[in-house]
Amino acid sequence: MGIRAWFLACIRRAAAFFERDEQAAALREEMRLHVELRARRLHRQGLGADEAVYAARRQFGNAAWYQGESSEVWGWAMWERFIQDLRHGARALAKSPGFSAIAVATLALGLGINTAVFSIVNAVMLRALPYQQPERLVSLWEENSRPDDTPTFNTKGSPVGTAGTSQRTTVSVANLADYRNSGAFEGLAAFAVTPMNLTAMETPARVTGESVEWNFFSVLGISPQRGRTFLAEEDSPDADPRVIVTHDFWQRRLGGDAGVLERSIVLDAKPYRIVGVLPAGFQSPAQLGSKDPIEFYVPSAFSKDLLASRGDHEVNVLARLRPGVGVKKAQAALSTVSSNLAAQYRANRDTRAVIAPLRDDLVQNVRESLLALLGASGLIVLITCVNVANLLVVRAVGRRHETSVRMALGAGRLRMMWQLVTESILIAAAGCVAGIALGRMLMAVLVAMAPAGTPRISSVTMDWQVFGLSAAIATLTGLIFGMAPAWQASQVKPVEALKSAGRGSGAKSQVRWRSALTVAEVALSLVLLVGAGLLLRSFTTLMGVDLGFQPDHVIAMNVNLPALRYPTPLARLQFFQQLDERVRALPGVQADAYANRMPLRGGWGSGIALDGNPDLRATPDFQAVSPGYFETLGIPLLRGRSLTAQDGNGQMPVAVVNQEFAREMLHGGDPIGHFMQRAPTAPRITIVGVVNDIRRAGKTDKINPEVYLCAAQTTLYPVSLADLAVRTAGDPRQLVNAISRQVWQIDKDQPVTNVRTMDEIIDLSVSQRRFQTLLLAVFASVAVGLAIVGIYSVLAFSVSQRTSELGIRIALGAAPRSIFGLVLRQAGTLIAAGMAIGLAGALALTRVLQDLLFQVKTTDWQAYAGAIALLSAVALAAAFIPARRGARVNPIVALRDE
Amino acid sequence: MRGQRDEIPPGTLDMLILKTLSRLGEMHGFEIADSIQQASVDVLQVEEGSLYPCLQRMLIKGWLKGEWGKTGENRRARYYSLTVDGRKQLAREMERYERVSQAIARVLQPV
Repeated sequence: MGIRAWFLACIRRAAAFFERDEQAAALREEMRLHVELRARRLHRQGLGADEAVYAARRQFGNAAWYQGESSEVWGWAMWERFIQDLRHGARALAKSPGFSAIAVATLALGLGINTAVFSIVNAVMLRALPYQQPERLVSLWEENSRPDDTPTFNTKGSPVGTAGTSQRTTVSVANLADYRNSGAFEGLAAFAVTPMNLTAMETPARVTGESVEWNFFSVLGISPQRGRTFLAEEDSPDADPRVIVTHDFWQRRLGGDAGVLERSIVLDAKPYRIVGVLPAGFQSPAQLGSKDPIEFYVPSAFSKDLLASRGDHEVNVLARLRPGVGVKKAQAALSTVSSNLAAQYRANRDTRAVIAPLRDDLVQNVRESLLALLGASGLIVLITCVNVANLLVVRAVGRRHETSVRMALGAGRLRMMWQLVTESILIAAAGCVAGIALGRMLMAVLVAMAPAGTPRISSVTMDWQVFGLSAAIATLTGLIFGMAPAWQASQVKPVEALKSAGRGSGAKSQVRWRSALTVAEVALSLVLLVGAGLLLRSFTTLMGVDLGFQPDHVIAMNVNLPALRYPTPLARLQFFQQLDERVRALPGVQADAYANRMPLRGGWGSGIALDGNPDLRATPDFQAVSPGYFETLGIPLLRGRSLTAQDGNGQMPVAVVNQEFAREMLHGGDPIGHFMQRAPTAPRITIVGVVNDIRRAGKTDKINPEVYLCAAQTTLYPVSLADLAVRTAGDPRQLVNAISRQVWQIDKDQPVTNVRTMDEIIDLSVSQRRFQTLLLAVFASVAVGLAIVGIYSVLAFSVSQRTSELGIRIALGAAPRSIFGLVLRQAGTLIAAGMAIGLAGALALTRVLQDLLFQVKTTDWQAYAGAIALLSAVALAAAFIPARRGARVNPIVALRDE
Repeated sequence: MRGQRDEIPPGTLDMLILKTLSRLGEMHGFEIADSIQQASVDVLQVEEGSLYPCLQRMLIKGWLKGEWGKTGENRRARYYSLTVDGRKQLAREMERYERVSQAIARVLQPV
């Protein structure tokens, strides 16, 4: 056949397909006419009328068969059968809406949860960072190890860059040159988030930017869309101010002005020339973990003082490894540099530089939590598969009677299998559609709920590959498990199956299969429940932690005074003293305080020596606080005196310390009267009081030694006063406007930012743990729900299959109670077996939760007991209904059916 | 009593239908079956229904075209007739049949 003919044949075939009903009718009509004409002919030849019709039919053959043959010719058969099967399948599923709904919902849950979680894990942890050769980028920080400290500590729980609160500190600018010369790096650049006041636009705004070393962009491998990056000579305190803006800044704040490179913007009252515009979508590593966009970049321009001070840890550092140099090799080189510095400089004695791949470092706070979620969602998928398999097995077995009837009527075995496959496909398709919808919803919810600071959470998109993969797995499982009983059923001799009239509960092997699936389900659910229980215990323990201060009725806010308007510490102090007086006069204010930072908002740490003794050294947390600080935060004074308004610059330098300071430095001795120095030649600061310990960085933080300096003694501290806290009688939020007005009456251009109640701040600090706990709890509930469905469906089915057996037992005198017990015992055996396996699994698997738990062991018996009790209760409840149904079997009805 | 009846050799039904139509023009199914039987003096026996799948196949292949019309008794019937492709196909099949039957005949003839 030529191509043209073949093509035409295809068209005819297609045309025939669309009119297949008409075609079939026409064919039927032709055949009827044929038989009629033949009969008439035979009649005329002398046969009786009836006999003639009969003979004509015989001569024609099986009309239905020929009709079918003709349809085959048209090529409809495959389609026809498929559509027939689809229709039949849809009808069959519609007839058991309970089964269909549960199967579809199960699939949707499994697929939705898995896809949502994996999409997030992928976006946050796995996807390559959006820089050139991101695998060579590392993050560099310094670690401060006190010799008497045990080396195990947790860097999580406190934000990176808050010196003193954890062992990890930001990097000392003076050390940068040494690290650069270690030979491990192709480039190394410091950066620090720098919010500034943007003015001379329509409305003044506080905008977050970053001060970066001039080579920052070349280390990342990013070139600007317009203009250029910074020149080396621009990165100096003497150079004219320059700024690079983001694409978004250019579009939104400058209206996409084509002449952007000729323009300047005013930041903190200083004009900055724009030299470059970054490509759209560029995000600095610091931005990946933050919701505030970083909108501009200015040169670091480190001062000579900063470059000379080894003890000031001020910047974050990222570096690009030399090609062929691995992280280990680079770390070794860096460690050599660190020990040389430690030998050379006093401030470096306990400091060590550490690197880690940038991506790992960015996700270090969320890594464990995401992995746990991923594991949990994996378990959910397993449970889903088990459940779907279970449902399909039950269903296929329940349809053995129908199967054998159809086979007795001549249906082919393959056709029977195909019918079951079609049904599975229908369920899978519906489950996928529902799963996509659920997955999208869940993803949006997860993204919205995710704790602030989850890196790249904004770039989460639905992961279709994962969806496809999990859909394929779930569908295949369903198919395989659905086919196995179908295959067995199709091998049953129809006569025998019909004789038993579908009352048998299937072969022994099938019963075993179903039991095994149920056991697996119970086991998997228990693992999830134990995990959730552990996190829950950990979370309640955490919530019970005493912070050491009273956070209720306290509101804190940030008043960042720009250096240009308030160039000296004294100017800043005067501003806050004025503000303090005004705020204290407001009605409803019980106390107020200012400080460099309030608790849980970062801080500063510094090395000291006690009593001029170089061996009595420590690195306590420092803060500069106003006299009202302890009263405002509710930190009780235990000994000596508090800081007072009389402590000023001319007076004796004084400090208040906490109990931990006394414990660590003086073995619990009374610190009052002792003095400390930040450097051998620095002023002696005398300790005048002891206050209660607080956990400055939040509930998960350990208790650190604290030193409180007097804010009025401005010569003692290098940090800026910037935080205000107010204790109120009523709801502190109602005073926010009144307080802001006081700020603006002193300086109308001064923004007030970061206004939060202390309770909110604490709440935020545990948000990540709450997120984990909540999610795992939800996952565990889903698992338990699925397990209930599984147990119920198996038992209900088994009871309905045993109706006649139970009827006979009752007829022979078994009490309903003993039947009830019989069914419950069956359930109990499955549940107990599942529990035993699940317990072993939980002991093995929950070990991965170790790092997520706060003061709770992974073998915490309460979590285990709770999980076991809960699961037993709901599993037995699921068994209750079928058991009761079994007990209520009417023997007469049951036996009559026989 | 009729004489001995034989099954139609496989693959030849197409040819018989094409030949019948080429001789007698437009016909409906019964007429085709009837004339094949009459022409073969009832020797060639076929279940009459088997004609229809054949006709469908040849319609698809474009050898026949079918048009609905009325019989002498005013009954609706599909009248089949040969297309140009059908004539070519008939020629090909006849040629092949000649070749094969001559070959068979040569084998069977005593030399």
